[in-house]
Amino acid sequence: MQRRTLLKAGLALGALGSLPFGAYRAFAEQPLTFYGLKSMSGPFASYGKYADMGSRLAIAEHPQLLGRPLKYKVIDTEGNAGKAVRKVQEAIGQDGARFFQGCTLSSSALAVSKEIHKAGGVFMTPVGADEITGKDCNSSTFRWSVPTYGAIRETLVPMIKLLPDAKRWYTITPQYVFGDALLDNARKVFAEKGIEHIGNSYHSLQEQEFSGYLTNAIAAKPDVLVLLNFGSQSSNALRQAVNFGIKERMKVLLVWSAGLDQFQELGSDVLEGVYLGAQYWHQVDTPLNRELVAATRKVYGINPNYPLAADYIGTRVMLEAIVKAGSLDGAAVSQALQDMRFQGPTGEELIRPGDHQVLKDYYLLRGKPQAQMRDEDDLAEVLSAGRSFVEVDHTGCALA
Amino acid sequence: MLDLYLFQLLNGLGLGMIYFLIAVGLTIIFGLLNFVNFAHGAFFLLGAYLCYTAVALTGNFWLALLIAPLAVAALAWVVERLLIKRIYHLPHTFQILVTLGIALIIQEASVLIWGPVGKHIAVPPELRGVLIVGDFIYPYYRLFLIGFAALIGVGLWLLLERTRFGALVRAGSESTETVSLLGTNIFRLFSLTFALGVGLAGVAGVLFAPLRGAQPFVGPEILGIAFVVVVIGGMGSFGGALVGGLLVGVVQSMMTSLWSQGASLMIYGAMAAVILVRPYGLFGRA
Repeated sequence: MQRRTLLKAGLALGALGSLPFGAYRAFAEQPLTFYGLKSMSGPFASYGKYADMGSRLAIAEHPQLLGRPLKYKVIDTEGNAGKAVRKVQEAIGQDGARFFQGCTLSSSALAVSKEIHKAGGVFMTPVGADEITGKDCNSSTFRWSVPTYGAIRETLVPMIKLLPDAKRWYTITPQYVFGDALLDNARKVFAEKGIEHIGNSYHSLQEQEFSGYLTNAIAAKPDVLVLLNFGSQSSNALRQAVNFGIKERMKVLLVWSAGLDQFQELGSDVLEGVYLGAQYWHQVDTPLNRELVAATRKVYGINPNYPLAADYIGTRVMLEAIVKAGSLDGAAVSQALQDMRFQGPTGEELIRPGDHQVLKDYYLLRGKPQAQMRDEDDLAEVLSAGRSFVEVDHTGCALA
Repeated sequence: MLDLYLFQLLNGLGLGMIYFLIAVGLTIIFGLLNFVNFAHGAFFLLGAYLCYTAVALTGNFWLALLIAPLAVAALAWVVERLLIKRIYHLPHTFQILVTLGIALIIQEASVLIWGPVGKHIAVPPELRGVLIVGDFIYPYYRLFLIGFAALIGVGLWLLLERTRFGALVRAGSESTETVSLLGTNIFRLFSLTFALGVGLAGVAGVLFAPLRGAQPFVGPEILGIAFVVVVIGGMGSFGGALVGGLLVGVVQSMMTSLWSQGASLMIYGAMAAVILVRPYGLFGRA
């Protein structure tokens, strides 16, 4: 070390030592801001509202973090990738934001993930696109929900076991990356289990009128109709399928349902007898889920649904990782998250270090008839639960 | 395979009648008042939500079909008296701006009142079930919609072509001053016409609710369909709305069997093709 460098270091230490006591205190009390990326307005506002409620529940459990008051700030992504990226860039550039959780749309999550990674932050998201923990993975990004492979295997395989005589299956698929990923995985299961895939109707991302697609499906006379769309498209497809009397002619499976809030919207007359894949169900009996249900009922007076549960656990795990790391350094918090085991809403969950995917259960539910419902949210019964994940080597993820 | 195309043709005709119902209010307002109503989709969603509330309170869909459109029409009448009548004489761009603002207010107010999650409205018990003819299956409720849309079409034609009210409105759309000089309160006539057109959007919202639920962000999509139908048929043409609706329905339904991923896109393809051949639409006038 040069003499000049040594002198500079000594002066710096001396200056620090001469700071008045109040300055330390001021630094210690400077709040730490945690950012929630929520679609609070626009077409996905219903999702963002519940996701925000989940994050707030987790934040309330930590009034302080590493001795600093914890502050929560919502960034409204407006369900728009471009706006989400711009607002995240502003938060990073102007406020020094580092810790983010949320996003409703995969496109938004993929875009902001890159920005957060560049800034050395940490991001936990519940979105569905395989790329998040696949070819577009990075060391800053973690994902809680089960990707398409697991969603397909944990719904189709148990359903094939439940319905051994159902050999002819028909699919309706939205034509974009998410839909194609579900369809590819479904085709693999069909081939593996000796199921005849008798047809598929693609539809566009804007489609809301499904009578033509349902006419195609009826004409093909399948044993099972599989809906591979989600959100309002799956609600309308299901509603119109029931209207066409499809439930009386074949079994119906919605692989990627939104859970309780979608079920509440559709009601038991539509859902009765329909098979539904779900990331979360409030009636699952696990230690953390019991706590979450009680807390949600106490604070909000409702049962938790998927967006609420997903963003609650995502926020909670990130905050626990900050405590575990004992540091606000993004790399240290990312390191603390890797290989972390924790009690999640679906039981004990684990973050896989190879791709930052949380390993958790996916559920196959079946809509209940109204006469069997114990309360207004008792809309479905759990038929099976399980974990299926692509091996890290096959995800396309190469974490640096 | 031919059976499938026949089924799709029949389904498309049914769908087309539903699209006619969605578009007819828009074309009446444009044809008779020369007014561009970009809030048409928002009034549609208001009809759907009022239907949800009426069904929740009374348990009777048919009562909702009566109450909700009347409430939507009454609101339209008030909006017309307070705001719209002041902008009839302005260029269409101003009308678009004002009605877009109204649409946003209705949309956000719906989110505030009914919440951001959509609402389900069940098909009335009398119309549950399906008609089965050979391999062809069609829901009774959609059959009812086709019949109801046809009845509305005939009723509107009679109202506009065979009554004194219709004659006055048509005359007023040609020359406001002449009709006023004959002692008719032309502004009241315009208010009623605007309320009628918007009330029809409310009727469509109610009737569509069991198929699509009540959704706060459905307005722009419905407005888009209505405009495609009206542009194909010819702006302001009543018969054009019927033919345009049927064409859009048949194209969309047939395409789901021929090239399913392009079914929605081909609606706009059909519109572009019609505009290329007849720039003012099939029944439009220059």
